[in-house]
Order: sequence, then C-alpha cells, then structure tokens
Amino acid sequence: MPHVVIVGDRESGKATFLSLLYATQVKSGSDASDAFRFHADVDSLDEISEAFEQLMSGSFPDSATKEGMRGITFHLGYRKAGRGVLSRLRSRGWDAGGSIALHFILVRNVEEEMSRFLRGSSLTNADLREVLESDAVAILVDSTKLGARTEDRTVGPMDRYDTAVESLLSAVRRSRPRGSRRPIHPIVVFSKFDSVDPKALLTANLAGAPPHVKKTRPRSAYAEALLEASLPRTIERVRARDRDASPFAKPSYFFSSVRTEAATANQRAKIRLRRTNGAGWEPDYSADEYRALLERLWTIASNAGE
Amino acid sequence: MPCALLGDRASGKTTFLGLLYAAQVKYGTGVQDDFRFHAPMGSLNLMSAVYEGMKDARFPSATLKEEITELGFIFGYLRKVVGKLPYYIRNQNWVRPFSTLRFSAYDVSGEDIEEFIETGIASRPLIQQLLKSVVVVVLVDCSKMTTEIDTPAYKKMLRYDSTVAKLLVAFQTYKKQEYDRLKDSGVKADAPRIYPAFVLSKFDTLRDDVLARLGLHRGFPENKRARKDYAEALLRVFVPQTLSQIRGGKIAGVSMDKAAYFLSWVRTEQHEGMEPVGQPRIVRTGFAPEGGGEPDFSYDEYVEFIEHFRDIAHKIPDEVLEAERFQAQALARPA
Repeated sequence: MPHVVIVGDRESGKATFLSLLYATQVKSGSDASDAFRFHADVDSLDEISEAFEQLMSGSFPDSATKEGMRGITFHLGYRKAGRGVLSRLRSRGWDAGGSIALHFILVRNVEEEMSRFLRGSSLTNADLREVLESDAVAILVDSTKLGARTEDRTVGPMDRYDTAVESLLSAVRRSRPRGSRRPIHPIVVFSKFDSVDPKALLTANLAGAPPHVKKTRPRSAYAEALLEASLPRTIERVRARDRDASPFAKPSYFFSSVRTEAATANQRAKIRLRRTNGAGWEPDYSADEYRALLERLWTIASNAGE
Repeated sequence: MPCALLGDRASGKTTFLGLLYAAQVKYGTGVQDDFRFHAPMGSLNLMSAVYEGMKDARFPSATLKEEITELGFIFGYLRKVVGKLPYYIRNQNWVRPFSTLRFSAYDVSGEDIEEFIETGIASRPLIQQLLKSVVVVVLVDCSKMTTEIDTPAYKKMLRYDSTVAKLLVAFQTYKKQEYDRLKDSGVKADAPRIYPAFVLSKFDTLRDDVLARLGLHRGFPENKRARKDYAEALLRVFVPQTLSQIRGGKIAGVSMDKAAYFLSWVRTEQHEGMEPVGQPRIVRTGFAPEGGGEPDFSYDEYVEFIEHFRDIAHKIPDEVLEAERFQAQALARPA
C-alpha cells in the first residue's frame, strides 16, 4: 500500500488538511454523479469523522482529535471511463481490485523527529522507518509565514523547518537503494493561502491568486518563486532530481485555503460554512484544489502498484 | 436472518417496530394470504403492548422502550409455484409452502458499538449477532433534518452520521474478514453483500423549507429509481458520510449497492393555533370492512418494506440459511 507522509511546521494545519481531504472525499463520494467512491478503514474513521464533525460545525480540529490522528488509511476508486451507460456495467466498475489504498502518516513535529534521527536515536529510527519508505511526501507550507524575514534578510520564520524538511528528504533519498525505480513524489501544499501576506507575493512579483490547477507549468513557476524565498533548501533538494538522478519525481503544488470568521475576545476563529447545491453545508474551502490533489494521489498510487 | 436496526435516540425505533407489527397483522390477515408471520412469545408480548397502545392513540412509553433489547419475527412468504397449487395441497406441510425469513432487531448501546470499533473485538454475544446481519435497517429521523447550522438538531445529525458511518464500516470489515477466512480455508463462498434499508422516520415532521431548498415535493415517488433519487437527495445533505460509506462498500469488497428506501409517518392530532401539551396523540382510522381503529400511518410503505424482504429471501447466501438451521437445531436439542 503506498504511503504518504504529511509533514508540516507547528500549527501549519496538518489535521485541517487531512480533514478537508476527507470532506472532499465525502462530498465526491456521495454526489449524484457517483463517479468516485472511497472507503475509510475502520480504525481510521474514528478520528477523521470526529474532525469532519468539527469542520462541519465551523471549528478547526481540536487538540484531542489532532493527537489521535497518526495514521489514516483510505481506499479510493474512480469510475472507469466508458462504462457510464449501462447500470450493470457501471456497478462492475467498482470492483475492489480496481481501487487503490493510501496510508497517510502524520509527522507531528518534523524538526524534533529529524534532530533525534540525526542524533541516531534508535526509537526514532523505528518510528521513521515507515516515513523513509514512503512513496510521497506532502510538505505543508504555512502561507502566513511566507516572505517574512528579519530586516537584514538573513533569518526567516521557516528556516528551521526548511532545514528539517531538507534533512528528511535527504534521508528518504539515501534510504532508497541505488537504481531504485520507485520514485518519491514531493507534494507541496501551501496551507492557509487565503491569509498569505500580499507583500510576500508582491516581493516575488506574483499575482494574488495562483494559476488554475490545470495549468501545471505556470503553477509550478508560481509556487517555486514562493519557495525560493522561504524554503530554499527544500526546493533545492527537490530540484536536484534533474542533476544527480535522485529518486524524486516532479513535484506537484496545491494551494489550500479555508475562509474563516475572525476570532473575537471570547471566541476562537471559526470556519465559515457555505451552502452547497444540494442545500447542505460545507466548509468554505478550496475544493477544486483538494479534488485535484485526490486525483494526483490516485495517479501516484496507481503507478506505485504497477 | 439477523437484521440490524440502527437508530438514534428518540428516532422512532420502537414506533417503527410497532407500526411494522401493525402492518404485519393487517397484511398477514389479508384475503390474498401470501404472507404470514410468527413471533416468539417475548417479542409478541412486547409488540402487542406497543400495538395496543397505538390503537389507544398513544406512542410507546419509555418503560416499554427500555424492555426491548432483541425482537424477532419470522416472515413467511408463499412460494410462487406453490401459490398456483390447489388450496388443499398448498396447505400440506410437506410442500413447504412458505419460504421463511427471520427478522431480528437489536437495540444496542452506543458503548458496545464503540468497544467493537475501538478494539476490533466483538466480545458481547449481541454484537456478534449484530455483525452477522445481512440486512441493515438505518432509521434517519426527519425531525432532525434542519438547515439551521447553529441548532442542536443539526449537531445531533452530524454525530449520528458519524456513528452510522462507523458502524457500517465495522459491518463491512467483519464481513470481509469472514469472507477472507472462508476463502483461505478453501471454502467457496459468494462475495459478501449487505442489504441496507433506509427508513426516513417521522417523515411528516420534515420541514417544508428543507424540501423546498432541495427542490423536492412532499411525498415519496412510486418508481424505484425516483425513490432512490429522492431519498439520496436527503441523505446526501444530512448523512453524507453514511451514504459515501454505503457506496464505498464496493471498494472494500462488500457490496451494499442494493439499498432500499422507505418512509415512515404516523399522523398525530393537530390542534389549530395551539401547541400540544404532553405527548402527541395518534390519529386512528375509522372502522370499515377491511378493519379500523388502526393508527393512521404509512401502511403502504411498510408493506413495501415487508415485500422488500421477499426479494432478499431468495438472495440470501446458503451458508447464512444453513447456519440458521443449525442454530435452530441446536436450540431444539434437549440440554
């Protein structure tokens, strides 16, 4: 089963990201077109459905829910093309054999994990084994920290995180046997992109919104321009794939945003809910980005199984 | 055939069973005589108490509800071929005129279910029985369907959706494990299948603004496909996790695609311009040659529900029937 590691700085929105991914699956998996189906493992459902409830009530996942979220397994299936006319054939399109399984591993504190790993802690080695053998690494970049640097431009708020992620990617790279044909897929997710500092975009000479999800080349250029300023080591490590035949595949970029109602003196920030076509509610979030991410994960897992 | 009946607190589980019993009584005494039922003494006592109360315009009392942990009916459906035989032949036992089906409903506490979900071990016999269910009846309380997100009803529905979704996944997991176990031991078994049946309970309390937002009219269509679309439009909004996990069963290797949908309502007395005080009273039908003094409820839907089991009876895997027969023999044996 392909493994996807989710890494992110403290409070970068890892649990929210996974919850929104689940919300996207619930939405797509229950809509009238019935073109996508998914199954959540019984031991994963407890935490993720709790987080879903919180999202649907306008709250971010609480600390107890976050704590419980360590490994989540989903099985996904898309309807095979060309089978949409006859219902009997439609039903056959959902064989369990035609689906893919994905196991997500949340790395709670990548800086701490990597520093322990570099010190050679055997406990960490055991914990990280799953991470090192993963097929994809989802790197969460907290967009609220993009661009901000000290006046002399030497220290940035994500430098430590950058170092930790770079170390993790290097460790993953080293853990692969030479000549391995199993690539590692870097997936960069800009979390809280609705709260990005406009100055950061201006400095990088970028538009207010990223190019459409289908325009992969301009989108990569947009994302990399942001990363060069804030996570230079990480982007350098990922880019090195072209030079030293490293196992990294071409990275993909996604922009996550959730509209919120500002926090007040006696209330934490709340997620804004919006009406769906079917008269229900859903978090006001970048659903297109998450749908595209699901498709990307599907492709990665399908190729990993071949 | 064990049948799990799942419903939230006060979602109308006992009322549903009471009305099902009322429908069985009426349908089972019709002139056509192609459906019969039998209930063990314990179930019969309880159900007749509920039924009597309803005939007296009362909903089941809390004390009665507490007494229900397991209820069983045996449905008998006249075989098609037998129905064509002369009357005196078809009544002979050797013809085995009725194909029977055991309908058992369990009332299980949330803690028992949680224990299974968390540990993966069904320690209590009741849970073990429950997991063997081939039919899962899910009650969805329409009185809790609201689009006002800051209301307790909205939050209750969210919680209920999570609980049912988890339970259904637990069913799927159990069935798949059983199937794999059989396969590994060289037994040829059919791919696991669960028949879900959704009952939209208290349908009369569904608010007009909810229906209007969904673009639905009041009342259930007759056509099977249209019924599915109608019900799924509601489920998609109010129990999306449940709907997605029903569909996802196929991905997990346990088909739940043959879902059926039913409505349940019982008319209550309305006093114009006045809020009713205490428990609402059930409206009863007038006396007529075909019966009367019965609660005014969605009888046709209950008949559809009973008939739905006729179809399933022919599709139940042999090993389930075999296990039932074995269990019956074991019980019949003297200690």
